[in-house]
Amino acid sequence: MAFVQNFPFMSIILSLFSGPISSVLSGKKAKWLNMAVITVIGCMSGAVLAYVLGTGESYVYTMGHFSAPWGNEIRVGVLEAAMALFFCVIMLLSMLGGARERLLEIEESKQNLYYIMVNLLLCSLLALIYTNDLFTAYVFVEINTISACGLIMIRQNGRTIEAATRYMIMSLLGSGLLLLGICFLYDLTGHLLMSNIKEQVALLHQSGEYHIPLLVSVGLMSVGLAIKSALYPFHTWLPDAYGYSTLSSAAILSSLVSKGYIFLLVKIFYRVIGFDIVRDSKVVNVLFVFGLAGMILGSVSAIREGNIRRMIAFSSVAQIGYIYMGFGLGTVSGMIASIYHVVSHAATKSLLFVSASGITDVSGDSTDFFDLTGAGYRNKLAGVAFTVGSLAMVGFPMFSGFISKLLFAQAAVESVNKMLPTLIALAISTILNAVYFMKTVIRLYTPEKKAALEKKNFHSIKMWDQPSKSIALICFIALNILLGLSSDPVVSLIRSGLKMFT
Amino acid sequence: MNSYFMVIAVLLPILGGVLIPLIPFKSRAWMAVYMEVIVLAASVLVFLLILNRPEQSFVLFRFTGKLSVSFHLDGLGSVFAGLVAFLWPLAVLYSVEYMKHEGHERYFFMFYIVTYGVTLGIAMAQDILTLYFFYEMLTMVTLPLIMHTLTREAILASRTYLYYSLGGAAFAFIGMIFVLSYGTTANFIPGGVLDMERIGEKSGLLLLVYVLCFCGFSVKAAMFPFCAWLPKAGVAPTPVTALLHAVAVVKAGAFATMRITYFSFGTELLHGTWAQEFLMALVIFTIVYGCSRALKETHIKRRLAWSTVSNLSYILFGVVLMTPLGLEGALSHMICHAFMKICAFFCAGAIIYKTGKNYIFELNGFGRKMPKVFIAFTVSGLALMGVPGLCGFIGKWNLAEAAVASEEPLAWIGVPALLISAILTAIYMLSVSVRAFFPGRNFDYQTISNVKDPNWLMTLPLAVFVIVMLVLGLHSQPLLGIFEAVASAVG
Amino acid sequence: MNTWILLPIFLPIAVGIGLLFSSFRMHLKMTGEGAAPAAENTNLIHGIAGAVLGISAAAALVCAWTGEKSVILFYLMKDVPIYFHIDKTGSLFVTVMSLVWLAVCIYAFVYMKHEGEEARFFGFYLVVYGVLVALDFSGNLVTLYFFYELMTLSSMPLVLHNGSREAIMAALKYLFYSMCGAYLGLFAIFFLYRYCDTLAFTAGGSLNQALIQGNEGIVRIAVLAMVVGFGAKAGMFPLHAWLPAAHPVAPTPASAALSGIIVKCGVLAIIRGVYYVVGAEFVRGTWVQTVWMTISLLTVFMGSMLAYREPVLKKRLAYSTVSQVSYILFGLSVLSPTGMAGALLHTVFHAFIKAALFMTAGIFLFRKGKSRVDDYVGIGKEMPVTLWCYTFASLALVGIPPTSGFISKWYLAQGALQGDIGVFRYVGPAVLLVSALLTAGYLLPVTMKGFLPGKDRSVHTGKETIDRMTVMLVIMALAAVVLGIFPNPLVGYTSEIAASLM
Repeated sequence: MAFVQNFPFMSIILSLFSGPISSVLSGKKAKWLNMAVITVIGCMSGAVLAYVLGTGESYVYTMGHFSAPWGNEIRVGVLEAAMALFFCVIMLLSMLGGARERLLEIEESKQNLYYIMVNLLLCSLLALIYTNDLFTAYVFVEINTISACGLIMIRQNGRTIEAATRYMIMSLLGSGLLLLGICFLYDLTGHLLMSNIKEQVALLHQSGEYHIPLLVSVGLMSVGLAIKSALYPFHTWLPDAYGYSTLSSAAILSSLVSKGYIFLLVKIFYRVIGFDIVRDSKVVNVLFVFGLAGMILGSVSAIREGNIRRMIAFSSVAQIGYIYMGFGLGTVSGMIASIYHVVSHAATKSLLFVSASGITDVSGDSTDFFDLTGAGYRNKLAGVAFTVGSLAMVGFPMFSGFISKLLFAQAAVESVNKMLPTLIALAISTILNAVYFMKTVIRLYTPEKKAALEKKNFHSIKMWDQPSKSIALICFIALNILLGLSSDPVVSLIRSGLKMFT
Repeated sequence: MNSYFMVIAVLLPILGGVLIPLIPFKSRAWMAVYMEVIVLAASVLVFLLILNRPEQSFVLFRFTGKLSVSFHLDGLGSVFAGLVAFLWPLAVLYSVEYMKHEGHERYFFMFYIVTYGVTLGIAMAQDILTLYFFYEMLTMVTLPLIMHTLTREAILASRTYLYYSLGGAAFAFIGMIFVLSYGTTANFIPGGVLDMERIGEKSGLLLLVYVLCFCGFSVKAAMFPFCAWLPKAGVAPTPVTALLHAVAVVKAGAFATMRITYFSFGTELLHGTWAQEFLMALVIFTIVYGCSRALKETHIKRRLAWSTVSNLSYILFGVVLMTPLGLEGALSHMICHAFMKICAFFCAGAIIYKTGKNYIFELNGFGRKMPKVFIAFTVSGLALMGVPGLCGFIGKWNLAEAAVASEEPLAWIGVPALLISAILTAIYMLSVSVRAFFPGRNFDYQTISNVKDPNWLMTLPLAVFVIVMLVLGLHSQPLLGIFEAVASAVG
Repeated sequence: MNTWILLPIFLPIAVGIGLLFSSFRMHLKMTGEGAAPAAENTNLIHGIAGAVLGISAAAALVCAWTGEKSVILFYLMKDVPIYFHIDKTGSLFVTVMSLVWLAVCIYAFVYMKHEGEEARFFGFYLVVYGVLVALDFSGNLVTLYFFYELMTLSSMPLVLHNGSREAIMAALKYLFYSMCGAYLGLFAIFFLYRYCDTLAFTAGGSLNQALIQGNEGIVRIAVLAMVVGFGAKAGMFPLHAWLPAAHPVAPTPASAALSGIIVKCGVLAIIRGVYYVVGAEFVRGTWVQTVWMTISLLTVFMGSMLAYREPVLKKRLAYSTVSQVSYILFGLSVLSPTGMAGALLHTVFHAFIKAALFMTAGIFLFRKGKSRVDDYVGIGKEMPVTLWCYTFASLALVGIPPTSGFISKWYLAQGALQGDIGVFRYVGPAVLLVSALLTAGYLLPVTMKGFLPGKDRSVHTGKETIDRMTVMLVIMALAAVVLGIFPNPLVGYTSEIAASLM
């Protein structure tokens, strides 16, 4: 066994233990530890990715060398490694971008607490990505929920506490449903390891027995994860949670946490139930319909929103709708499109959150739409970054969003019945996206009168006044353009990763 | 010529434009010289390319697998590229003078010149994805031009423009996906690329997709009901309204509809279907609607903008006839209208520049004070009406002949629509000229004694346009020969 | 020799434009420096205009009467040349036109003194002459259309010459009606281009029988559109309203030219279209013919009635033109050789008569400055020569033998009676008769009241001024009478034309 193969396990453990260590460190040191851990894990994931690409097949890593069905397993393929790497990159950049806000918004004494949460979150995300055991997955889902709650609440004001409570309730509901689904499956198959369950499910499916319980279990798990990842209409917790929490929390939550659940769902579809069975069950159609509804209605809510952070949050609802719509198409290319969108949305949404904070910085920390007038001139980099993010969201060619739109549409054309609704919903959603994002961009570049500026005491900032944020923004922009211009490697990575799943 | 030159032609204005705010010019004149050199160089390159078209295509970069941004210059593309290459240097000349008082010049010229490159990109696009790519780019680079004055009105107009354009592109996107999925190739090939075997029974769906796609692209060509943005966009400085909203942007929309109709979906499939009839009905309605709105409008630039709405639908009418003759008519009107309308807009701009007057009822007696401008305006008005001997007649003649030859009742209805539009055009254009030249018996010229013709930077383009209108009107055969060659390929 | 055709076309146009340019320059100077208006060198202008017109008219007549000629100027589009061809019809029209134009020009030398801006007037006057020659000589429908439009545009400034608001509105009305008509004609041309072998004029038409199969309906609509459209210029209902508006405000020479000549261009266009391109056969016996006859008879009657009620002399004459030109159109609509001959005869006679009548009205206006019929009571004592000329011309228009009008009306009625046109065989002549009575009713009272003002009127006696205006009037009136006494050459000539077409 190559040494590299230990990396996934090591990265989970590393992040898990860096949490407790952070608790005894001061805020500043905890921050550096956290950064270092993320970087190291990112490097390790990169190495794993290289290794898996080299061997061309996935491998199973049994913990403590107990073989199944008793032991706990980690399974590593191209997609897992790539996701881990990507999540690390996004998380690092989000942490970087939100450094200043954390200092300002979080009490001195709780600084290190924040990093504990982040470390735990990373740990749980990695575990969700790598694990081959359904129950382990559930456990980490809960860890994930709790740490996410912490991330929301750490900036203490009334709104965040309310938001965190809501998030908790909805999330627990989701986890409960997920747990129920897992119980059903365990009942039916007697296994918790994914590969084993899959064999049994295939047998059951062939025999035609327990058709309905199987369906119910798939349904429960899908709905549970859908609630947790804020699929419309289960999104009510989301705008507040993203809109009022501290910047890095919002960026991480929107781009990573919900994506972790989605990735778990993909795994359940492919590795637990089997994609054919999922497709044959009508669950995908339900997801499809909710996805479409989310695409449109999320954007409609965003249009009505006058608070830029909440607007971006609502946009997430729409984007998650895209992802579920891709699942709902029930084709491999739909799946590829969805996973690509997970990536591109993560890259874009965190960019938007960070740039929005750059914009509000120069607008007296007001998130109100009308105070943003002319902010693009006051903070040039943030303005440009927000424009790039908006264009990516609208699906403008050259940026990542265009490719996911392209992939979704191409996937849609393959399926006869769902083609037209998908295409039209895509078009409408694009228009709606354009309406609120471009409205904001134009607002950013509408000059504010001098008198008003002085009255409101707005000031301009230069690019290097906030170096960490600027670096984060530049990296995000580069990432977006990279994804937009040379998406081919990413798409083929996803394709080969999905192949390894089966 | 080597296919590399196509990329150079596209990138030269884009990069040259981007550099404008960065270069520390000693004076305004140097900047003007710099821009003119860049634009002229690109134009010369384009004409050289048109004269010896490169055989190969050139791939700039790949999106995914077979999807790439690539250039290829074919007949249709040459026509459009040649048109913009001819007009841009003149327009830059004009705007150097016009923009003196508008401020933020550097950013203005940056986008103005970048737009040139993007438009060339549309003309030279080899496949539908490249076209879409540059089409979206065009929206973005022209947006700041509309916003330029940064007044409330301009912001609202640019917002409207943006929503319409992006919305249109979103629907055009559907068509693009369809072509990518069901076409044998994404490239533009005369006669269409759809693989009928793979489409099978989905041809009904195909028509719907085509209609959506056509409507999407025709947003830029301001077809009813997507035409509201164009008159609003008239708040932009006149060089923008003239060149972009009479030629480059709107014709890019028309050009894109030609591409998808004749080179992607293929007329064989569409001819005689409900899709054709539906679009034709819309287009015919727009022809009359645009003119009627122009008649009501008293703001001179908005009047011209509504006139553009109507005239663009002439072009679209030629496109939806879906015959080689129709394409020929559409192309000839595309070229002819470009000269007529840019001339009219430049005249309007000259008036606004010299006197600040925006409304038609303020122009009494200006004809004697600004004879050059108003003669040019009158000539362009006559041309728009379709007076024989000027270029407008050629476009109208070819369109009407194509419509008659198509032997479809709906197309026949298009012919009277063209003529009704012509009579309305006569009213809204000539009433301006008459007012300017014949202000009434007791008009006191002292009240407008400060009104004068602008300097050569403005009048030279006007003179060129007037001459072109006459030459095209009297001796159009060489050009029509080219169009015929282009159009015969798609039959 | 053929290229000599171009001389009478382009010489007056070029010189006319030169005159206009000089007029424009003068205005620039005048308005530029705010100096008092410089006097125009009227003698020079008259000299130039007279000489050029004389040379051109001579050249035109020589060309017209030395056999058939043709010249292709250039190709407007592929197989659409600008093509001149002189045939008998063209010769007839150009002769009448040149004579009247010359006479009116000499008349105008005097008359225009009180209108001013002579350079502009004579400039346009020359241009229109060139255009009219081209129109008469045009050898195909597109050429005809080309010059038809130019005629409208170049004659419009004649109407608005005095620059009053009323005149401008009238000119615009003239323009738009003419344009409407021209576009209706163009509509037909579009279709004829497709369904005819050639647009060049060929006696009997050149419809392509094979192509037209199944499309007769639309072509018939096109023919009707052409008749109505070109009929606008000829003052035919429903596009007649410009005539009474334009004539009273235009300077009298312009009215004379408009009424005598330009309305005839509408007639020429209809002859060319119907007889030389479509062919009479295609129209005969169809609903198109019925409609055509109906509206022309309606116009005949309506024009007379309106004239009868009109108190302003020039306007009365304008309505008279409406009525009389529709005589011609009715003659054409009958589609029989006799009717056609009558129509051509009436074209010639009406040109002279109407020119004479308008000249009279002009002289009255010039000397008395009053325009209503009531103002002319007793004028016979003042200006006997003028009024006698008026009387003879009126008698000719009414159609009292042996004046010219009698001959043409005779042929028109004959044509109607002989034609195979159902009920119109009787209705037509009846309407013509009634209209003739009305004509007498509205023209002759001027004579009667002029010579016999009644006892209680104080009559101004004095010597009548005889100048060039009067001389020209006498010539026109003489022509109107003499042509009726010696009609044979003309009748023979027109019958020959008519016979060649049917």
